[in-house]
Amino acid sequence: MIRYVVRRLGYGLIVLFLVTVFVFVAMTFIPSDAVDLMLADTGASEEQAAELRAELGIDRPVHEQLFSFLGGALQGDFGRSFYTDEPVMQLFLDRIPVTLQLGGLALAVGTALGVALGILAAVRRGTRSDSAIRGVAVAGLSVPNYVVGLLLLTVLGLWFAWSPPFVYVGPTEDFASWAQQMALPAIALGTSAVAGTTRMTRSSLLENLGSQFIRTVRAKGASERLVLYKHALRNSVISVLTLLGVNLGTILGGTVILEQMFSLPGTGQLIYQSVLDRDYPVVIACTIFYAGLFVITMIIIDVLYALIDPRIRAAREAGT
Amino acid sequence: MSSDVSTGARHDGQASPEPPDRPAAAPPARRRSLAEWRAGFTRFLRTEPLGAVSLVLIALVVLVAVFAPLVAPHDPLLQNRTRITEGPSAQFLLGTDDLGRDVLSRLIYGARSSMLIAVLTTAISLVLGTVFGVVSGYLGRTRDLLIQRVMDTIQSVPPLVLLLFMAVVLTPSIHGTIIALVIVITPSFNRVARAETLRIKEEPYIEAARATGAGALRIMTRHVLPNMMAPLLTMASLLFAGVIIAESALSFLGIGTPPPTPSWGLMLSEGVRYVEMAPWMVIAPGVVLSLAVFAFNLLGDALRDFLDPRLHR
Repeated sequence: MIRYVVRRLGYGLIVLFLVTVFVFVAMTFIPSDAVDLMLADTGASEEQAAELRAELGIDRPVHEQLFSFLGGALQGDFGRSFYTDEPVMQLFLDRIPVTLQLGGLALAVGTALGVALGILAAVRRGTRSDSAIRGVAVAGLSVPNYVVGLLLLTVLGLWFAWSPPFVYVGPTEDFASWAQQMALPAIALGTSAVAGTTRMTRSSLLENLGSQFIRTVRAKGASERLVLYKHALRNSVISVLTLLGVNLGTILGGTVILEQMFSLPGTGQLIYQSVLDRDYPVVIACTIFYAGLFVITMIIIDVLYALIDPRIRAAREAGT
Repeated sequence: MSSDVSTGARHDGQASPEPPDRPAAAPPARRRSLAEWRAGFTRFLRTEPLGAVSLVLIALVVLVAVFAPLVAPHDPLLQNRTRITEGPSAQFLLGTDDLGRDVLSRLIYGARSSMLIAVLTTAISLVLGTVFGVVSGYLGRTRDLLIQRVMDTIQSVPPLVLLLFMAVVLTPSIHGTIIALVIVITPSFNRVARAETLRIKEEPYIEAARATGAGALRIMTRHVLPNMMAPLLTMASLLFAGVIIAESALSFLGIGTPPPTPSWGLMLSEGVRYVEMAPWMVIAPGVVLSLAVFAFNLLGDALRDFLDPRLHR
């Protein structure tokens, strides 16, 4: 098992290296570079521009830039912002708690609610509540998360004259205010997770309930409750875990828009603002950090697979 | 002779309601005729009523997009400075926006850019992803390793973050948006095509084709490819929905379709500031965007149920 985790981590590092290469290669396609944009209004001379380029290190060929970035990265230095000169690592670490709170909340609520609804739909298969849940799930999958956020804001603002607080406070300082600010974006982000998880849980449960081993369990005289929660549901966890990975990607991306919309100072806001400012070092490092976050979670999910399903564990320990 | 065997298998899931894993040789080999297509289509409408509903919705959106100049009551760019943020009325069915432009006409023209981008993106990614997937799965070894590492790399960045990154690299324009979306979507098609190829490769009719002396290229195009159309079609429909969302999100963030071209995401972002004064500026594009996505999700679901032989009861 440990060997498997180590191998998986090693592969994760390779992927992150490839992401870094991809990012730097892609940067060479940039039409007008940041320096022109930075100096556009200052009326600086061509010489000053060249000086600034040299200082920022963007006058060198890509592979040199890549190697110096990787060299710095190994020592925990991921570059500095063009504008504020702060280390990107620091900028990211300052903001990641907000994003993790928002994303975690959305993922947790979405998955819990989705599994519950999925069980309900599967148990009541073919009834009116089943079709209602399925209908709502497809609909929930179809409304983009930022539209959910917008519509929530519209409805609550218009009919209840309520809008969330505008200044972010941490949950330890003022929990009520924090909860009010997090609720809407978390609901918006969680909607598609609920919908996807409901569908996955339902179909996977139905598949399991129709399988041979469930027939055996039933034949042994187990109660329907035991059949459902102990045997069928356990086998559906794998599919729900798989979906968790997909949802994570959507939610991490979704935080970019929702943090903007609800003025939450998270990493989504950081990367978006840097994209608008063409603050390349921040965009580069944030893209890689996001990939890192994603890769690490996928590794955790993979390890969980192996812990839950002995068949997967056996296959992996055999080294396939 | 060899192609006879493979097209036989293709008929299984789609044209006959009978058990899926029938020996590949059973149905006579020929190109499917128009009548058969029509019969299949009618059966789809009958067995999947929700699929029929989705087709009507999709046809509506596509027709409106194609015939936008004929359908739109006003010029989508015309600013009536004296009639700004007016509520829905007989003249402006869905009201006007902050510059006095007709919301309905902008929605209709917005369908154009949305559909254009979604169709092109899905088609290009479908072709690229399938080629990579089939080559990767059929030839294996170094080529498989190389292609899959590239795909893994792309998929290890959350989609919207990757799109944001691409927005820095490419200039904001319709073709820039399409390139970025193609990069994000292609790995999903690749994954399906590769998995299907690995499955099909083991089928007896592939061995038969190889025994008759067919080359790799011929087997891939004539035998492997036709047999994975069902899952690819389903995937295409679902990803089409995803592309509509992603495109609108990019325009919403101001890094997609550049103004003043009307697009749904852009309309939503313009509406945010007027939520309380002119809620129709948010509600109308929000509802239309969601309905369009809903239609393609529904179609994808219906296609999956219809084309997946395992689900036939």
